[in-house]
Amino acid sequence: MKSTDDSLALCSSPQRDRRNQWRITLWAFVWGLSFVVTTWGAKREWWPFGVTLAGVIGTSIFGIATFLAYRRFLQETDELRRKIEVEALALAFGVGVVGGLTYWPLAVSGAVPESGLVYIFVAMFFTHPVGVLIGFRRYS
Amino acid sequence: MKNRLKVLRAERDWTQAYLAQRLEVSRQTVNAIEKGKYDPSLPLAFRIARVFEKPIEEVFDPEEERG
Repeated sequence: MKSTDDSLALCSSPQRDRRNQWRITLWAFVWGLSFVVTTWGAKREWWPFGVTLAGVIGTSIFGIATFLAYRRFLQETDELRRKIEVEALALAFGVGVVGGLTYWPLAVSGAVPESGLVYIFVAMFFTHPVGVLIGFRRYS
Repeated sequence: MKNRLKVLRAERDWTQAYLAQRLEVSRQTVNAIEKGKYDPSLPLAFRIARVFEKPIEEVFDPEEERG
């Protein structure tokens, strides 16, 4: 029998997965760039409000495109990867809900700034890839 | 759920990569099923049985607990 290195199994991914992941990355990059440019431009008053509004609409469209690309990835990927992704999403959602509901009463009481809630979103954003890595380890 | 995936694959001198390609899944999926870390869905289980030209109960044993 030909030798098989189990550790290499992590690297295996059907071509369609790589193609779909590339689409997600591309849309997410454009989404992030649009968000940053729109926010900074509005904050520094680089342009009239109409341009900012167009930027907001564009950012929303890029965001929707990113989620549609991710949904397509979930639909077309193999079932184990889908399970890993769903578990990672559940973890990220849990961090968001628990973190948010823990932070919010503190913010209302004035113990912490309300603007700090944005860090909960940042935590959710970074929890997902961590969850995917945990899944890879669990099922390899 | 126990399975005979590794044995059946070895009998045919197939690599995990080749089997994964036949099943249109990732090699990680084949690896996880072989190790008993992941139980495949019913459609994938039937696809596996078809690839090995065996009845599904000769590939998977639902009576035995995960090892």
